[in-house]
Amino acid sequence: MIPAAFDYVRPGSIEEALAALADPDAKALAGGHSLIPALKVRLARPSVLVDLRDLDLRGVAIDEAAVTIGALTTYGEAARALAGVSGVDALREAIGSVGDLQIRNAGTIGGCIAHADPASDVAAAVLALGARLTAQSPAGTREIAADDLFLGPFTTALAAQELITEITIPRGGGSAYASVEDLASGYPLAGAAVRLARAGESDGSCRVALTGALGAPSRLPSVEALIEREGVEADLSAALSALELATDDVAYRRHLVEVVVRRAAARAVERSAA
Amino acid sequence: MSIEELDTTVVGVRRPRIEAPTKVTGTALYASDLPVAGLLHGRFVPSPYAHARIVSIDAAAALALDGVAAVLSAAALPIAGSGTRALEPLAREEALYAGQPVALVLAESEAIAEDAAELVVVDYEPLPAAVDLDAALDASAPPARTSTVGAADAADMAVHGDAAGSVEEAAPTASPNVTSTHRLEHGDVDAAFAASAAVAEGVFRTGWVHQAYIEPQVATAWVEPDGTVAIHSSTQGASFARAAVARVVGIPLEKVKVTPAVVGGGFGGKIVLIEPLVAAAALAARRPVRIAYTRTEDLSATNPAAGLRLEVKVGMDAEGTLTGIRSRIAVDEGAYGDMSPSGLIGPRIGAGYTWPAWDVEVTAVKTNKFGPGAYRGPTATQCTFAIEQLVDELADRLGLDPLEVRLRNAPTEGAQKLDGAWPAVAAREALEAAGEHPLWRKRAALPQDEGIGLAYGLFPGARFAAGAVCRMEPDGSIAVVTGLADITGTATAIAAIAAETLGLSFEQVRVNVVEASAAPQTPVSGGSAITYSVGKAVRAAAEDAREQILRIAADELEIAPADLEIVDGAVRPIGSPDRGVTLSDIARKSTGFGNAYPPVEGRGATVPAELSPSACVNIVHVRVDRDTGRVDVLDVAHVQDVGRAINPLLCEGQMRGGVTQSIGYALFEELVHDEDGQLQTPTFLGYAIPRAEHVPAIDTVIIEVPSKHGPLGAKGIGESAIVPGAAAIANAIHAATGARLRTMPMTPRRVWQALRES
Amino acid sequence: MGGTPTSVTLTVNGVERTLEVEPRMLLVHALRDDLGLTGTKVGCDTSQCGACTVHVDGRAVKSCTVLAVQATGAEVTTVEGIGSLARLHPLQAAFVEQDGLQCGFCTSGMIMTALDLLARDPDPDGETVRHALAGNLCRCTGYETIVDAVRAGAATMRSPA
Repeated sequence: MIPAAFDYVRPGSIEEALAALADPDAKALAGGHSLIPALKVRLARPSVLVDLRDLDLRGVAIDEAAVTIGALTTYGEAARALAGVSGVDALREAIGSVGDLQIRNAGTIGGCIAHADPASDVAAAVLALGARLTAQSPAGTREIAADDLFLGPFTTALAAQELITEITIPRGGGSAYASVEDLASGYPLAGAAVRLARAGESDGSCRVALTGALGAPSRLPSVEALIEREGVEADLSAALSALELATDDVAYRRHLVEVVVRRAAARAVERSAA
Repeated sequence: MSIEELDTTVVGVRRPRIEAPTKVTGTALYASDLPVAGLLHGRFVPSPYAHARIVSIDAAAALALDGVAAVLSAAALPIAGSGTRALEPLAREEALYAGQPVALVLAESEAIAEDAAELVVVDYEPLPAAVDLDAALDASAPPARTSTVGAADAADMAVHGDAAGSVEEAAPTASPNVTSTHRLEHGDVDAAFAASAAVAEGVFRTGWVHQAYIEPQVATAWVEPDGTVAIHSSTQGASFARAAVARVVGIPLEKVKVTPAVVGGGFGGKIVLIEPLVAAAALAARRPVRIAYTRTEDLSATNPAAGLRLEVKVGMDAEGTLTGIRSRIAVDEGAYGDMSPSGLIGPRIGAGYTWPAWDVEVTAVKTNKFGPGAYRGPTATQCTFAIEQLVDELADRLGLDPLEVRLRNAPTEGAQKLDGAWPAVAAREALEAAGEHPLWRKRAALPQDEGIGLAYGLFPGARFAAGAVCRMEPDGSIAVVTGLADITGTATAIAAIAAETLGLSFEQVRVNVVEASAAPQTPVSGGSAITYSVGKAVRAAAEDAREQILRIAADELEIAPADLEIVDGAVRPIGSPDRGVTLSDIARKSTGFGNAYPPVEGRGATVPAELSPSACVNIVHVRVDRDTGRVDVLDVAHVQDVGRAINPLLCEGQMRGGVTQSIGYALFEELVHDEDGQLQTPTFLGYAIPRAEHVPAIDTVIIEVPSKHGPLGAKGIGESAIVPGAAAIANAIHAATGARLRTMPMTPRRVWQALRES
Repeated sequence: MGGTPTSVTLTVNGVERTLEVEPRMLLVHALRDDLGLTGTKVGCDTSQCGACTVHVDGRAVKSCTVLAVQATGAEVTTVEGIGSLARLHPLQAAFVEQDGLQCGFCTSGMIMTALDLLARDPDPDGETVRHALAGNLCRCTGYETIVDAVRAGAATMRSPA
């Protein structure tokens, strides 16, 4: 219930923060609502926490083409900024699924993505929306496509001394996020984000991302191909049965995956036509 | 004047709880809020194994930490004896369940205690574990306990009534884990079935369910200079805890004091679980000790409701009369039988009905899990889940109206039940009121996948000897003195009873809760018996005080007491409002120096002669999502006979709270162990209790059929409120989908599976 | 081992306080144990029950999931800071009148979360209130009187007498 002891530093700049993260036992602290619960049960035992709170990485910028979210923007701030903003519905719905009012006031979008929980709602949404992360390290700044970010459970392509600074989400198409939540934890047993192109949009692809049921939040290329070929009414059973689910309760979970993909796809179709 | 004709001005008024302002301002003192100088904090070292011999405990590394005062094992506690949970708050030579406290670390802060607990090295020799209930019943099952049981000196924890039926020794060929068998039989059940128009049967399973009070268990103990052990505890029964501590720790009763804190929920789970340990630890450490369970410790190592397997067969004749019941019940007693429901559950399978014949056998089985405790109407929810589904099924098969069938079998006073004769119970009235409810009338024309179900149930309640004092304070106000642990608003209820009896306004009465050694006899707040039993004593004490007040006033005014009344804080002759003597005058003359009169000290000592069960009927409207198996409860109507609503607001609170817990039972809650006996649900991440969006508005319908025994006709209602809800939901799911589920909780996964199979 | 105590200055219920705390100390424990503000409760280990809810810089957060050191320079409001026995906040009064509590252990958290909701949505319907309270568990009431209390309190706050 109480973390093991650690030291605490609160850098005033990204450079200072990155330098503090040179210690292999250091952990970055954003909103803390994934890290602190892990500290409390002593699953994580960092020697030092690097509190990013004072870094100027908050805020949401919106233009016609994209939404750019500072990494330390809370779920709640992002939700309010995205209210009524078209072309990012999957992200807004995923954020609304996260935790509860208090958790959304504290947890951050960047922290969530960097944490890479295999049941992260937001991860599915950023995958389906083709988001790009801007990340900074002592070597400089780079862009990472969401597609290249999630490598496994709680594992990303970020280096130890690298921090997400902002998340850019291209607007467009019709998208949605649908999930079936575990009654106790609220985490998705299966959560699907689907993005469909509007008629006449240059990017005609369908993007489908799944969370909660796999080892990491992932695109489902075989499902995407089927939907692109045959529309959202396509028979997905063959594609879904090939998925390696991260559970022993395969039949029910596979069924839930289909349910959420269909629900998200149906809403995405409506929005892409609107 | 009969109770029915009694006009009341204070009783029957909807009124906020007297302690509500302290609770909304954060000023109410719960057990871990009490500041205590020199406090040591306790943290357990839990067994990682479901079953293991404890070879050695090495606390050296833990003790080397700055701020660690002691690491106590069972041997270091002043508790002699073994074999029961009461006598083994720390495991002795054998760890009997995963999570069982094996050692207790005491340190200057919770943080240090937790650091130190990680450093205690315990050498275990794992033993085969008996985990699954069915497997544990097998003759080849490993024994859940191998060490010999010492002189068991456990308290009689029969809060919810005495054990019923004959008790047999376990047969020699049975499993080593069978501890007892209870039988109840009457008449010829086979003949009854043969003569029935229809017979329905099933095997029903219910899991271990936790009371899940939001405030985890906590108690603090310290030793006063004269050697008295003082305890401040989140307890449902300070007096009961006091006696248990004296007995278990082997100290004289007069050297134990227990003060009940404001309790953050109990529901049966806070009946003397941790007081003996915290007292023993304070004695061993010679410093104040607080043990405040974490949620993980609470879900892992306290006393939830036992898992059950209920095989039930019921017959009905063509007109809808129940003909007989046969049942074989297996009770998973976990590692300790202290508060096992095995002695109580036999009669509960008869639910709220009268029966001509029965054949019931209850087998209690030990497994390597925590021991059970009481949870709000113990076993009644589970038994009703079985019976009310079978009754529904039979009504359906015979083409009978489900409500008519319940009415047909509803008991009248004196009718036969499995453990004697029914006292007066207003089942008929509750059922008739339910039949009138608009929700019941909606059931025929619902959208797809929606259904409405009904169930009737009750808990017999309890009746307790109780004392109360009703005294006049120096300012003329009235204080009710009690040792009551208020878990349901009972302090507000007894204040109203006293005020009504004395002819005072509610504001002129206060309730003083005092420590157990100073309090009048106060039973455990459980068994739906406080308003019923303590309220009765308060009524008597208030009547006594009233007589004393009138005698003093009679002397002052030179008018006979029978010609006086108490109105607006004064005693005056009936019909002469201008004459009189105020209560503060009387107080002045009977307290302080130079008293003209003896003080007004009303005393009540009572025990209700009989039980007065509170009948209730629950109607539930559900929608089933066939895709996911999720069941949404859209609407609930709950009809309950309260005898007399002392405060309708409090009654409604009990009703809504009970219904919500029944939703938890039905759809959400189960403590799950894997095959190695590891608890898979030790936090709220795994153990789900209903949230606000899971519970609809609940229409509460209070009916009043006064009890002959309760104060002003009131009945105890808290436990009956939980009883029928889960069965109603099961019946509603059947109405919606045609599928019957016989395992609780009816999780989305199970519902989905049942729909696939049907 | 790490964890050298560090100085934390924060404003609690309008008063500036300076504490010496280990970095690992949770805000809820700093409030309860170091500042004696025991109105905020601990009910679980997994940031779910919400009994620990306070306001940090105007937003409801679970103080069991915030380190005291994170709150340096912040404004923290606990249930003790919004009203008193002598003068109840309208929302507190509504909880009393509507019987939005029984044992009361979840009540501080319910009130603090509700205040956050009402700051942004002064007239929420029942469904909105229930959704807003997803992070606050109650075992006693069945939530209905809590919803009634929030809406009644909201009405009073919209048109103070």
